[in-house]
Amino acid sequence: MATTEEETLKSSRSSGPGRLIIAVYAVFALAATARAGFQIATKFSEAPVAYSLSAFAAVVYILAAVSLAKAGPRWFWTSVLAVSVEMVGVLTVGAVTLASSAALPDDTVWSAFGRGYGFVPLVLPIVGLWWLYYNRSDRERR
Amino acid sequence: MDGYFYAVLIVGLLSTVVCVAGGIRGIGPNDITILSVAAVELTLLVYLAGSIISAIGAGGPSGPAWEFWGYLVTALVIPLAAVYWSLMERSRWSNFVLGSVGLIALVMTARMNQIWYGPQLEGAALAAWIF
Repeated sequence: MATTEEETLKSSRSSGPGRLIIAVYAVFALAATARAGFQIATKFSEAPVAYSLSAFAAVVYILAAVSLAKAGPRWFWTSVLAVSVEMVGVLTVGAVTLASSAALPDDTVWSAFGRGYGFVPLVLPIVGLWWLYYNRSDRERR
Repeated sequence: MDGYFYAVLIVGLLSTVVCVAGGIRGIGPNDITILSVAAVELTLLVYLAGSIISAIGAGGPSGPAWEFWGYLVTALVIPLAAVYWSLMERSRWSNFVLGSVGLIALVMTARMNQIWYGPQLEGAALAAWIF
């Protein structure tokens, strides 16, 4: 049901390799949301910082998946922000968990640089930032 | 690991190989790659039916019940979402999207096996380390 106007506004970020990148972000958004929801609903008091971080990661993944799929410069910069926060998050949480396992008593998606998820959380923002740079013309498109 | 796991292992990996091969050849989703994902969905539906029967007959998962059923329902939605997403743009990349379904189903089934049988599950430690 795409009209001609929607066709011209179609984001190049959601095309080609972007199909796969957005699909992976969507799966992580789903996994992180489900995990955080489960942790917060059943045992929040056990590790409030870790579970709040899980919830934060879930929001970042949802924002990244949605903004990468949407056209226009505003969504482009939203995805730059989301993927950058994701990069900083996985590096910071990865370093903190390696330095001291007591800092976060239960795992988050980003613990030990995402080891629990085959290190995909570490690779994904690198690929994401490359993809945004590759499609940097999107930042000006009306 | 039970028969459901090995079924998803075989069907899932076959589907991933078929879809990734299609993507490498540069073709978009076709009957073969979509049907291979449908086979994964069917295998998961058998897992669902079998799990419901086991839960009624011999009791549910040893781990948190709603975590198990949550995983299973999510695993059932993912192939449908992947096919929908891949058909919106029928490029080679959509075949790679379809190829991810088998791997995701495999990882999720390994986790569901862990929840169902608990820590005494044979191979659970290995699976926990990998996943």
